[in-house]
Amino acid sequence: MKILVTGATGYIGTRLTFFALKRGHDVVSASRQRPAFFAIPWVFFDLSFDDSIVLPTGIDAVIHLAANTTHTDSLCENSEVSAARKLIKSAQEADARFIFVSSQTARADAPTAYGRTKWRIEQEVLSAGGWVVRPGQVYGGELRGLFGALARTIKELPLLPAFMPAPDIQPIHIDDLTEGLLRIAEPKGARPGVYFLAAPEPVPFSKFLAEIAKSRLRCQRSFVPAPVRLVDMLAPLLGKTSQTRLKLERLHSLFDLPVMDTAPDLKQLGLTLRPLHSGMHPSGSDRRRKLLKEGRALLVYVLKDFPGNAVLRRYVRTIESLRDGQALDLPQTFLSRPILLSLLDHSAWTDQRTWAEFSWRIDTATVLAEATPSGAYRYLQLDRKYGRLNSLLSIGSAMVCELLWRILRPFFLFLTRHALARARGSM
Amino acid sequence: MTPDFDVIVVGSGPAGVSAAFPLVEAGLRVLMVDGGKRPDINPPETDFLSARANDDKQWEWMVGKDFHALKMLDAVSPKLRVPFHAYAFDGFGHENRIEGKSFITVGSLAKGGLSNAWGCGVARFSPGEISELPFPASDLDLSYAKVSRRMGISGKADDDLSDYFMLDEYAQPPIPMDISHAYMFRLYSDQRKILHSRGFKLGHSRVAVLSEDIFGRQACNLSGNCLWGCQRHSLYSATYDLLALRRYKNFSELSGFVVEELKCSKGGWRIEGCGTSDSGLKSISAGKIVMAAGTLATTRIVLKSLNYTQPVPVLSCPTAAFLLWLPKMTGAPRMPGFGLGQLSFTLSLHGDYTAHGSTFSTTGIQLSEFARHVPMRRRCSMDLLRGLLSSCVVGNLFLPGRLTAAEAKLDNNESLIISGKYGGEAQPLMHEANRALSRAYRRLGAVLLPGSFTVASPGADIHYAGTLPMKVSPSRGETSPYGEVNGLDGVFVVDGACLPMLPEKPHTLTIMANADRIGRQLAACKSHYSN
Repeated sequence: MKILVTGATGYIGTRLTFFALKRGHDVVSASRQRPAFFAIPWVFFDLSFDDSIVLPTGIDAVIHLAANTTHTDSLCENSEVSAARKLIKSAQEADARFIFVSSQTARADAPTAYGRTKWRIEQEVLSAGGWVVRPGQVYGGELRGLFGALARTIKELPLLPAFMPAPDIQPIHIDDLTEGLLRIAEPKGARPGVYFLAAPEPVPFSKFLAEIAKSRLRCQRSFVPAPVRLVDMLAPLLGKTSQTRLKLERLHSLFDLPVMDTAPDLKQLGLTLRPLHSGMHPSGSDRRRKLLKEGRALLVYVLKDFPGNAVLRRYVRTIESLRDGQALDLPQTFLSRPILLSLLDHSAWTDQRTWAEFSWRIDTATVLAEATPSGAYRYLQLDRKYGRLNSLLSIGSAMVCELLWRILRPFFLFLTRHALARARGSM
Repeated sequence: MTPDFDVIVVGSGPAGVSAAFPLVEAGLRVLMVDGGKRPDINPPETDFLSARANDDKQWEWMVGKDFHALKMLDAVSPKLRVPFHAYAFDGFGHENRIEGKSFITVGSLAKGGLSNAWGCGVARFSPGEISELPFPASDLDLSYAKVSRRMGISGKADDDLSDYFMLDEYAQPPIPMDISHAYMFRLYSDQRKILHSRGFKLGHSRVAVLSEDIFGRQACNLSGNCLWGCQRHSLYSATYDLLALRRYKNFSELSGFVVEELKCSKGGWRIEGCGTSDSGLKSISAGKIVMAAGTLATTRIVLKSLNYTQPVPVLSCPTAAFLLWLPKMTGAPRMPGFGLGQLSFTLSLHGDYTAHGSTFSTTGIQLSEFARHVPMRRRCSMDLLRGLLSSCVVGNLFLPGRLTAAEAKLDNNESLIISGKYGGEAQPLMHEANRALSRAYRRLGAVLLPGSFTVASPGADIHYAGTLPMKVSPSRGETSPYGEVNGLDGVFVVDGACLPMLPEKPHTLTIMANADRIGRQLAACKSHYSN
């Protein structure tokens, strides 16, 4: 399939181009600048230019991502709509599917010009029988777009605003969005119309910010209450330029977001979105990070010492190549204090399958920890810690510890049950 | 039409090479076909303890780059988890279409067969045992001598098991024992009388491991790598005999060929099968076929060629393992030492049964192998074993093969299904053996750790025999005293499949001697088909 992507050098466009090429499609970039990362055909395209675009031959779909995110006057609004109109016409003449990436803020009476423009273009697209995609709050990947702006702001500010009343957003990882766009663009018969692509359950905006801080930027940030009315009152005082710099206008549209019912559209496209905490990880998934944590805990549990990163990586590769590659999702309490795994080991697991998996992983950690010089030193007592007394101490402490854990277990019943339930849930 | 070869030997394991020697020596054109799998990783370069202490890449030979040990976590024996030996077991069941139903089936498609990863235990069958074979005991004497000398065996000692193993005339001196075994053996000399009266006898293990250099192979230097791959070639493998066979011009080899069926053709037989690397069907002809693919594989090929769909019996020794703790040795440092059987025992049991087994050092075996059987939290069990294991030895025990009630049967898809369980007598005998060993070893300063005596699943011994037994007057599915299959004239079975009985003692040497006996017989009838 041959796809023309406008705004292909932008935040979403770059990622979309990458995945489209990966799936074997031909991509033509329609943008102001020649794409730097991909050796793909390029046609000049600028929203503010009046000339209509001539589509290269053989285009099957047009994905219209280009947008003016820094509206300053209504003239720009109109030129953006007319640029879209011309693009739709070109697509119709070339018999190509037209997919317009709109916004959750699109509404006839949207508080922002951005939202109103999107709405106007949507009407054009729909009347031409095209597809409209309204993504929620896009995050992940490169620090660009609104996501990049938010991340940079969080990095700069020691305190973050917790808006009151708390606005909710519906996030979507950039890779999930591009997947959705490609599924719509590919000729498999997604009906023309408006598609809502975002997490079905809204999350508080402050939680979203906190997640960026924690998982993406790896920093701790505190929140101060910021009443929305106060922000509204103070915003004009900042002046137009600093408002634009802080993207306050787009932020402002947050306070007024309609909740999108995305579940039916996700279902129709067969799209499963990654959870926010996973997608917010720099790699786009925290699967491996969780596995590393689990491996570290299990290795320390069996060896009483950390055998090094090489062994830890080996553990991760083992689970990835011989099992499902997913961590058992043990609670943090156990992961940060591996000795507590004694509560789960040889414990009353009700679910045989989870128990078998947990035992398999304990065995794996033991085998991997042992097959190292530090494992040999410890287990074969090559560290000259042999001798009758040392051996008897080792045997004695093993017996005492085992007994102690057996006695202690009932006191930790709640914690244990919680861990078992999570482990079961992860499988 | 003249056949491509005089004899095709199917399988390059101990039985195959033993049968091949007399044939090539007589000038016959012999082709040996085998699965051809070879090792693809290197064993440790230094002695076990140094390698463990210093080798940062030890996981490559302990676990394997493809995580072999973890893939095989449920396999019955630590041996099956060793990456170096992976090739020896790889693909056997799948490519030969052999399946166990509640029965463990292990075999080999490797060059040299299962002898690449065996325990090296050797013994002669006693005159009483041979009397169950359909030929005079003297027929095997020459073969025992020839095969023993070629393999190189050690353990010669004037001890209480000399008469049990009957190999001292061909054996090299024993490989030195470690301090734990030496301690038990010292106590044994004081306790002999009373232990004899209880039916317990102890002596050096007789093993096919060199204590003196022969034929370019080096004597054991106690490196402790027995389980992990011996660089000195001290442990016998049929591949060393292959080197000798290749010196004969009339000996040819075809590797990577899995025989599917034997077909009668003008003037002899054709073997048909597939290469392990390609899927094309190949066919090679010969005057006679010698089947040495290992008991299970041979059984399938023969039953299929006979189109015999009745079940045939499988002999397999019920086996158990146990752990002995020598309190006196507590805190002993780990020392390099021999990793296979050091001391062997025989134990008389009710009903005129005998159990046989050996004890091994625990140094070459990982703690994780033991930890999985300790009913404690892993962190605690590792601490326990860390303190305990250097003063422990691990033992195994075998009972006669007739105590397993198993059978092999071709199913509708022409797969061989092995099913079976231990016979009713096995359980009480195991129980009795557990108690008797416990009492006997207590006199030798060793405590048989409670709960450590573990009876393995049927088939775990990997001593399979008796599916196509030699009989004086064989019926269909049986073989003549020379292993010739009734119904397939010119097809001779020389591996464990033709043994009509399986005692508790190691049977490999007898399989080899018998293969040599049959090989000699075939060579003697050379005039039959060289004309």
